[in-house]
This record gives sequence, structure tokens and C-alpha cells, in this order.
Amino acid sequence: MYEPPFTRDRAANERLAARACEACGWVSFPEAREVCKRCGTHGEWSDTQLAERGTVQSYVVQQRLPEGFETPLPLAIVDVPQQSGGEPARVYGLFTETDPDDLEVGLEAEAVFRRIFDVDGLPVHSFKFTLPRGESR
Amino acid sequence: MRDVAVVGAGMIDFGELFEQSIDDMLERAYLNCLDDVDRGMDPDDIDGAWFGTIDIANNASSGLGLSHPTGLFETPVTRVENACATGSTAFRSAVEAVRAGSADVALVAGAEKMRDSAAGLIESAALEQVWRGRGVTMPAFFGLRATRHMEEFGTTREQIAEVSVKNHENGAKYPHAHYRFTCDVEDVVESPQVTYPLNLYDCCPVTDGAAATLVASADVVDEYTDDPVWVAGSGLSVDSFERGKDASLVGFPATEQAAAEAYEQAGIGADDVDVAEVHDCFTITELVTYEDLGFCEKGEGGAFIESGEPRLDGETPVNPSGGLLAKGHPIGATGVAQVNEIYEQLRGEAGAVQAQNDPTYGLQHNIGIGRNATGSVSCVNVLATDR
Repeated sequence: MYEPPFTRDRAANERLAARACEACGWVSFPEAREVCKRCGTHGEWSDTQLAERGTVQSYVVQQRLPEGFETPLPLAIVDVPQQSGGEPARVYGLFTETDPDDLEVGLEAEAVFRRIFDVDGLPVHSFKFTLPRGESR
Repeated sequence: MRDVAVVGAGMIDFGELFEQSIDDMLERAYLNCLDDVDRGMDPDDIDGAWFGTIDIANNASSGLGLSHPTGLFETPVTRVENACATGSTAFRSAVEAVRAGSADVALVAGAEKMRDSAAGLIESAALEQVWRGRGVTMPAFFGLRATRHMEEFGTTREQIAEVSVKNHENGAKYPHAHYRFTCDVEDVVESPQVTYPLNLYDCCPVTDGAAATLVASADVVDEYTDDPVWVAGSGLSVDSFERGKDASLVGFPATEQAAAEAYEQAGIGADDVDVAEVHDCFTITELVTYEDLGFCEKGEGGAFIESGEPRLDGETPVNPSGGLLAKGHPIGATGVAQVNEIYEQLRGEAGAVQAQNDPTYGLQHNIGIGRNATGSVSCVNVLATDR
């Protein structure tokens, strides 16, 4: 079965493409709306690119999930800055290749490109987060 | 705007009710509600009905799902869905219609078959469904608030567990509760981990149930009872953690906003609330709700539960029915059953779980999540013994 929602979100999922409200600076991600969720302005938006690293605001470690997810699976709310500066975007992200015991609020997390799952054989790709393993990476 | 009172309340025993269909549950809750009205209720008097269900088992959508089991035909029936605030929103909608004069007597009924087919994010079989919320399940959504609350305010794991201990203690005494056992802090902390930092005893069960309430305008209330419970205020609000105050991740501003509206209509403050039924889908939800409703300052929810104030014998009993944690959370029925409990508390008819502080104001609260787990919706209703 063809799955349009994942097609619509490809720019956000695969390239961390976002939009910033020109009236208040709020960053919309992964949605691309006409009305700003924060200031309510129906105004202009500029395209922006998120950085590949952000800061963990809170996290959980999921132990009970449907088939197809590996457990334990850490998940966090990460504030990810724009490459050009300005406000960060607030992003949900699954973690990969991360020891749950290493997670803390305030840590830096790095977005990495991963195949998330298949829909009837068609792969859906997006970012996951991981804890950076040093600057040489 | 006309004053509105609750004149009857009925529900069924919540639990795993594989032997009952949604129609069976609704019919029985409705008949129990009719029987509860002091001077009786002629079904012909009901001139509007609101049916709360999120229809999780895909069998009852639209108003027909209520008119068939109750026989309420030729009556306007509206189906309401508002995430976990479905039941309380159905109640609020009925109250608003009676306030506005478009009905004199209105029925509110809520029901959910949770165990037939616990679909969606609750027990999803499909990776795609979970991923649409970017991997966020229910315990994860609320667990994220717990991690942040502990980090920011030093709230302890044991304080969070105290909510479960209190609610199971109440639920063990409450005749309609799904779970009727007690536990201690150690049991909660050592129960299997579902989603760090929440364990099994931090989570409400998956429960079937139905509940019904009758409301009437001040013009006709004397026909039904000498002891009505008045609707003093009602608020409904939505917010998103992507904006404003909700970005703090330590509570639910939607609850603050809904409560502010309900308190203003009632002409009271948080201190005036004598008893409350609040949304404890998870322990942490109740803990942050103490703060969001103004029962204590932001960040002091841990100290508030530790003080014993929300216990049944405390100054402000919270969830005397055992809450969602013990009574269960059949989503459409949950808010309606909470209203019923407050109605009984204010009439002094709550039996083994009656608040001992002679309550005059009672509050009912739900919080629900949606929008790929980024948004929350809250409904707060305040009831009072006096008009």
C-alpha cells in the first residue's frame, strides 16, 4: 500500500529541512504550516536548515514496544539549532547505537541518517539520534 | 445563561468485560443513571444527548451508538471525541446546551471497549502508526515529563510512586474499580519497567466501561430532586509543547488554562476545591496536575503528595475513586465516571471513599494527547453543592 504521509515529510525526514516564521522566529519542523503555532501570524516563512547536533531536553527509555522496534529504545525531545543561528527547533527523536545509561538531560545529540522501516517493501528513511563519539567522527 | 445541575449518575463496574458489548455496557449505565434520579426520570423528558467515545474498537461511531442501546430515538444525539478528555468534553457540551436553553434535560453517556481491540498507539501492531508519533507511545509521552520534572525540581522516584500507592488504597475500597488491591512504594519502584522512568504500577490498566450522567436546567430541576449538584464552571483548552509555556515540559498548560476558566466561572480559586477526580493515566500525570490545577506551586507536586494532603483522609482528597490507575480508563467513560464520583461526593453518598471534609466544591479533570504526540487537550469541570 502506498503511504503518502511519509512522502510528504521527506524533506524534513531526510534533509532536516525546516521553516522559520519571519514574524517571531519560531521554527516549524517537521510540519510546514502557513499559520505560526506560536504567534498565530499568517505570514511569511523562510526556508532553513537544521544543524546535525542538538541538546537533549528530556528522555525516556522504552522497554515495551510493538514488534519491529528493538528494546530498550531511548527516545528524547531534542532542541536542534538552525545552521544559520536563531531559535532551535523542537524535535522528537529515537536514539540508535546508544547505551540508555549514558543519557542525561543537557547532553549533545547528533542526528544520523537511518532506514526507519519498510512500508510494503518500500524503505522509509529519517534521522535518529546518537551520542557523538568524539570530534574526529 | 441558565444554571445547570446534575440530577442523576450511573455506571457499571469497570473491568475486563469480554462478555459485554459496548451496547450492553451503555444500556446498563443508562438504566442505572435513570434509577439514580431521586424522583425518577421519564426518558421522554430527555431532549438532547451527548455520547463520548473515541471508538477504539471501531463499533459505535456516531450518535446512533447511543440511541440504539438507550432507545432514545427522535432525540438529537451528538457523538463527541476529544482524546482522553472525551468524557468530560461530552459532559461540558451537554451543560452548554442546557445553559443556552436548547435542552432542559440532557443525557451524557461515555463508553469504551478497550480490551476487544486496543488499537492505535496504545497497543499498536504497526510500526508506521507508532512512527507517525515519531516513536512516542503513551508511557513515553508522559514519561518525558517525569524525567524533566525530576531533573528540574529534584522530584524523587518515590514521590511519584506515592501517587500509585494512594490511588490503589482508594481503589481497593471503591466498588466499581477494575483493580482492587493495595501496594506500597517498594512494589511500584520494583514493578517491571515499561518506559523509564515509569514502571507497570505507574500505568493505568486497559479497562472496559461505561458511565452516564443526567443534567437539568434550574427551571426544571425540582421535578427530579431536592438535592441537585450544580455545575459551577467548565473550561476546555488545547496547547502544544512546540510553543509558549508548554515548551517547559514540566506540566500541561492546557490544564492551567482550562482550570482558570472553570475557576473564574465558579468564582473560586484552587484553594476552594474540597475534592477532585483528576487524570492519572500515569502517576506523573497526577503529580504535575496538582501543580497545573493550583493545588500547590509548580515544582512542588512531589512534596504535595508526600504531605498526605491528597489522601482520602487529607485536606484535599484527590481521586477518592482510585483514579484511572485503579478504577481504570475506558476513555469515553472516564470523564463521565469522574463527574459521577464528584456528584456522589458532594451529596455525601460516596460510601467507603467519602471525603470526610464535608465537601462543597468538587473538581473533575482530564488531559489527553494528540497531534503526533505534540499537543494536549484538557477539560476541567467544577461542581458545587450550592447554586
